[in-house]
Amino acid sequence: MRYFDDKPELVAAILAKYPPQGRRSSLMPLLREVQTALHYVPAEQIEEIAEIVGVTATEVRAVMSFYSTYSTVPQGKYHLQVCATLSCALAGSDELWDDLCETLGISPGEVTPDGLFSVQKVECLGSCGTAPLVQVGELGYHERLSRQDLHALLDALRRGEYPGPHSPLPVFVHSGQQEDAAGARHGAELKPLGENL
Amino acid sequence: MTATAPRPITSGLDPRFALSLYAHVGEQGSWTLESYRARGGYQAARRALSMDPDRIIDEVKASGLRGRGGAGFATGLKWSFMPLKDGRQHYLLCNADESEPGSFKDRYLMSEDPHQLIEGMLIAGYAMRATVGYIYIRGEYILAAERLEGAISEARAAGILGSKVLGSDFDFQLQVHRGAGAYICGEETALMNSLEGLRANPRLKPPFPAAAGLYGLPTTINNVETLCAVTHILRYGASWHAQMGSGKSLGSKLYQISGPVHRPGVYELPMGTTFAELIEDWAGGPTEPIKAIIPGGSSCPMLPYQQDILDLPMDYEAVAAKGSMLGTGGVILIPQNYCIVNATWNLVRFYAHESCGKCTPCREGIAGWMVHVYEKLVRGQGRPEDVDLILDMSDNIAGKSFCALADACLGPVQSSIALFREEYDHLASTGQPLYPRQSRWLGGGAR
Repeated sequence: MRYFDDKPELVAAILAKYPPQGRRSSLMPLLREVQTALHYVPAEQIEEIAEIVGVTATEVRAVMSFYSTYSTVPQGKYHLQVCATLSCALAGSDELWDDLCETLGISPGEVTPDGLFSVQKVECLGSCGTAPLVQVGELGYHERLSRQDLHALLDALRRGEYPGPHSPLPVFVHSGQQEDAAGARHGAELKPLGENL
Repeated sequence: MTATAPRPITSGLDPRFALSLYAHVGEQGSWTLESYRARGGYQAARRALSMDPDRIIDEVKASGLRGRGGAGFATGLKWSFMPLKDGRQHYLLCNADESEPGSFKDRYLMSEDPHQLIEGMLIAGYAMRATVGYIYIRGEYILAAERLEGAISEARAAGILGSKVLGSDFDFQLQVHRGAGAYICGEETALMNSLEGLRANPRLKPPFPAAAGLYGLPTTINNVETLCAVTHILRYGASWHAQMGSGKSLGSKLYQISGPVHRPGVYELPMGTTFAELIEDWAGGPTEPIKAIIPGGSSCPMLPYQQDILDLPMDYEAVAAKGSMLGTGGVILIPQNYCIVNATWNLVRFYAHESCGKCTPCREGIAGWMVHVYEKLVRGQGRPEDVDLILDMSDNIAGKSFCALADACLGPVQSSIALFREEYDHLASTGQPLYPRQSRWLGGGAR
């Protein structure tokens, strides 16, 4: 089944972001579109994208294999990614990962029998101040995740309810002032050009 | 004007210090055009569009701004490398592929206050005669990408992007390009390859991007924080920016701290603030004894957690003088009771995973041998001579790889062995770490 045949506007909008000599730049956005919708990129869509962009399917595969996001095998409806890099490890991501795999009974590359979940250990997701975290596919981050939070999230997903991302800001600014650890606020007022000195 | 220059601002506690980059992060609706305009947004762009482009570059040079992506190269100087009147298409790229472990500042700039980035790109584009810009944002930053797309749509509808920007004769098209999970895309030539739809292998330099960049045309690549700082320099003036900082490191900077501290997070502080102030006064101090500090993201060699290091000003030269780097300003604290070999293996594994495979020293050295020897050690199957083997390999990799990734991996490797050799030797000879693994998960107790 072809994916883009009935989406000419979408394809045109993606191609229009790049100059004529940069048609190939549409490769990643097109792959992302399929990956997000189908939870993997089937062989037929690799051919289809190659056709749109004007390269061979082999070249599309070469690009796909470079990046962590694209999968050539089906993933679960909810692809759960756990960051394992140092700041997350210091906040317990090793334990989180073990708990997740044990709870779901799967390893990377597998999908739960109900088709809901797959898991992947990934590198730094830029959540070091709110570690540890699970990224739920294209839906969002779930940060500062405790064991209880993780199980509540899995329960909600099993019921088919995505609770929305959870991303507390690790920033302590209020009305232009930054709060120190003792609770005092600091920060002068900025005036327009020429009035600050 | 007073006869003597005022004392520079080098502390976030200095009553003269004012937040700019993060002043509105966390405010409800801070990402909307309405909120941005209510606080003077796009007035700096109006001012810039009335100036000669070369004067903007002069102003950025005078501000002392240096690239905030890690390398600390002078921004105004970089801009002046663009061939300014050659009639070809010029490109401005924003490097929003924030992926250096310990770095998480750009993410909130984009999700909470994206218009200041758009305004900075507008100013930079005008200064460098670049009429097309792309923001290359890492694929995992879902909320930040959504907010950026939303802000760009608002700006287009309001005549701030597109043709005849803000009623001037300048056209500027801006697009978001989302990555797909590859650390190497933060390397500027790899980023351009990725944007062109290729595997993200770095390119040989020279030619540098200003001569032959995206699609072979003149291109400049700046970090998110750098471009946001440009907005504030044009809004508040180069001398306002230059009065903050120490030595050759000027301006306001987003420092990040993670690991076991009471308040991990991002803090906007003047450059030259000490590590001690960041860790104690802002982050509330460590929650457990600390043995090492990574001063600026995982590529920066570890330093011992001791007073002379804590008293260092966080500026490029002061940290370099101690044998490390300020990098992105992403500070990570490593606790006393966490096995240093395990911590370093974690980072080696990161670099091994992210090695693009283009050159032999990195592919075979880091992604092959280095990560395997570390894994063997951590699993308790090492031999006493493995520690010297790691050092010997490091010596053979250092300075011999195509890009900086392999050397970045050697930062934590060589520094951790220099500082904590006894932990390595103990693990290699007994198979047991000096500090066995403990659960570190919050709320971790019984299930």
